[in-house]
Amino acid sequence: MTNLDGVFRREWGPAVAALARWSGDITIAEDAVQEAFAEALQAWPRDGVPHNTGGWIVTVARNRALDRLRRESVRPGKELAAVVDDIRASADHADVHPVRDDELRMMFTCAHPALDPTSRLALTLRLISGLTVAEIARALLQSEAAVGQRITRAKNKIRHANIPLRVPPAELLPERTPHVLACIYSVFTEGYFSTAGPSAIRDELCDEGVRLAGEACSLMPDERDAQALAALVLLQDSRRETRVDDCGALVPLDEQDRGRWDRGRIARGLDRLQLAAGATGPYLPQAVIAALHATATSWQQTDWAAICMAYDRLIEVVDSPVARANRALAIGFRDGFAAGLSALDEVADDPRLARSNVVASIRADLLRRAGRRDEAVEWYRIAMDGNGSDQAREFLRRRLAECGGAY
Amino acid sequence: MHYFALLLGPEPTSAPDPDAHAAEMAAYQAFHAKAASAIRAGDALTPSATGVRITGGPDAPTITDGPFAESAEVAGGYYVFEADNLDEALALARDIPAAKYGAVEIWPTVFYTPPSQPVGTSWLALLLEPPANAVAPGTPEWEAGIAAHQKFGAAAGDRTNGGAALHPPATATTVRVRDGEVLLTDGPYVEGAEVANGFYFIDVADRDEAVKVASMIPATTVELRQLMGVSGL
Repeated sequence: MTNLDGVFRREWGPAVAALARWSGDITIAEDAVQEAFAEALQAWPRDGVPHNTGGWIVTVARNRALDRLRRESVRPGKELAAVVDDIRASADHADVHPVRDDELRMMFTCAHPALDPTSRLALTLRLISGLTVAEIARALLQSEAAVGQRITRAKNKIRHANIPLRVPPAELLPERTPHVLACIYSVFTEGYFSTAGPSAIRDELCDEGVRLAGEACSLMPDERDAQALAALVLLQDSRRETRVDDCGALVPLDEQDRGRWDRGRIARGLDRLQLAAGATGPYLPQAVIAALHATATSWQQTDWAAICMAYDRLIEVVDSPVARANRALAIGFRDGFAAGLSALDEVADDPRLARSNVVASIRADLLRRAGRRDEAVEWYRIAMDGNGSDQAREFLRRRLAECGGAY
Repeated sequence: MHYFALLLGPEPTSAPDPDAHAAEMAAYQAFHAKAASAIRAGDALTPSATGVRITGGPDAPTITDGPFAESAEVAGGYYVFEADNLDEALALARDIPAAKYGAVEIWPTVFYTPPSQPVGTSWLALLLEPPANAVAPGTPEWEAGIAAHQKFGAAAGDRTNGGAALHPPATATTVRVRDGEVLLTDGPYVEGAEVANGFYFIDVADRDEAVKVASMIPATTVELRQLMGVSGL
C-alpha cells in the first residue's frame, strides 16, 4: 500500500483546499477527505486505482460532506448548522474540483497573522502538507495532545472569528504575502536547523519546505520574494547531507566535502535567484550569501567582499543582531581577523543576544583562526555554557580540544 | 457578523492637557467618519475610579469600588462593528486611536442584541471570566449559561438595553499599532487575567440601581462602567 501513501500525500492538500472552498469550513473539508481516503483504501485494491485519483477523492469527499451536512442540519443547535444553509444553496448542482487557487487560498488562511506563529506552522503542515498530528508533534518536539489542541483551537478561531478562506485583496497582499513566505521558511528551517528529533521527519520537513516554496512561486509568479525564498531553501538544502557528520556533530562550511553538495539543487537555486532580482524582503540577500558559498570552489576562494555586501543589505532589510554577528565573521575573512573581532564588538552587547551563544562562538572562531588559542579556549567554554543544540555543542567540544582546552 | 472591540490602555493619572484632549477627540471623530458604515455602537467609558466590580455571582455578590489596582491596562472604550470577516474587523481596529498607545481586543460575538433605544450615558456591564472558565457555544456548559442569562433576562430584562455573548478567548485577536506597524497577537491582550466574555447595556436612573441590576448577572466578575456619551454614535 506504499504507492497509495504517495498518492494520498500528493492529493491531500489540493483535495482539502478544494473541499474547504466548496464547504467554507476547514474541519468539514479535512474530515471528508479523510473519509474519502478510507474509502479509497477499500475500493482501489478491489476495483483498481482510478485514472484521475484527485477527481475521485474530491467527488467522494464531497458526497461524504453532503451526507454529514444533511445529518447535522436536522440537529439544530449543532455547530455545523450555520454552514449548512450556505452550502445547500450551491451544493447539489455545483461541481467541485481542485483548482490551483485553492491551494494559495489555503496557504494564506493557514498563515493568517491573527493566528499564533506556531499554529500557522502546525496548520500548514496538517492541511497543506498532510502530515499527521503525530508527525507534526515529532517535528516540533511537542506532545501529540498539545499539537492536536493547537490545531483544533486554530481551526475554531478560523471558523468563529471568521478568518476568510481566500487570497487577500490586492491592498492586503503586501502585508500578508510575507507571512505566507515566513511560514514556508519555518517549515524548512524546522527541518534543516532543528536541534533534535528523528532525522526522517527532519528530512521530510526540508523536502516539504522546498516543495512549498516552489508552489508559492508557481502560484504567485510575479512575487520575487517567493523566488528568493525558493532560491534560499534550494541552496541551503544542497548542503543538507554534509552539514552533520556521522557522529551527529555539525560540520562547519569550511570543512564540508563540496563534492557532495547537491549540484542539481544548486543549479535550480541559481535559476530561482535570477528570477528573484529586485526582491525587497530578507530572503534575497540570504540566498545571495548561500549562492556565493555554493559556487565557491573552496573556502579560501570564497568571495568575502560580495558576502559582506550581501550582509550589509540583509541588515538594511532586517535589523537582526544574528546577521550582524555573522557579518563580523565575513569581515574577518575579508579584512583580517582583528577587523572581524572589532566588528563583533559592535554587536556583542545587543540585549537581543543575551540568551544566545552566537557571539561567543564567532569570537572563539575568530580568535582561533588568529592564533590566539588561550583566548579562543576561554570563549569556546563560554559558548558551550550558552544555549545550543547537541550537534552544535559536539562541534564546539571538538574545536575546544583542537585549541588544547577541555570542557 | 458582529465583532466587539474592547479598547485597553493605561489610564491617565491626571487631567489631560486641553490641546491633547482636543486632538484625541478629533482623531476619534475622524475614525467615526471613516468607519461609519461598519460601526454599530461605541463610546468611551468614564474612568475606572468611578466604576464598580462585582464578584461572587448573583447569590453572593461582593461589590468593590474602583479603581481596580491589580491591572495596569484598563478598559477605556468599546465599539461594536459589523464586518464580513476578521480581516475587515482588524482593518477597522487598527484605525482606532487607542491602538497606537494601548491595544484593541477584537472578539467575535456569538449573538449581538442591538440596543433598542439610544444608550446615552447608561452603564456598560462587562462580563469577565478566567480563561479556563470560557465555554464554547454548543456545549452543555454553554447551554447552562444561556439558561442562567434567560433567568437574569426575566428578572431584569426591562432594565437592560441590548448586549452580546462573546466566543471563547482563543478566538480573540489583539491589535496594536507601534511606529506605524500593525502588530497582531493571537488571543486577548493580557494573558492569564480575567477576560471579556459578554456585555450588557444597563439603562437605569442611577448608579445604585445599576449596581443592583449588575449584581444579578451570572458571571464570575462584572465590571460596571458608565458610558461617557461622547461618541454621538
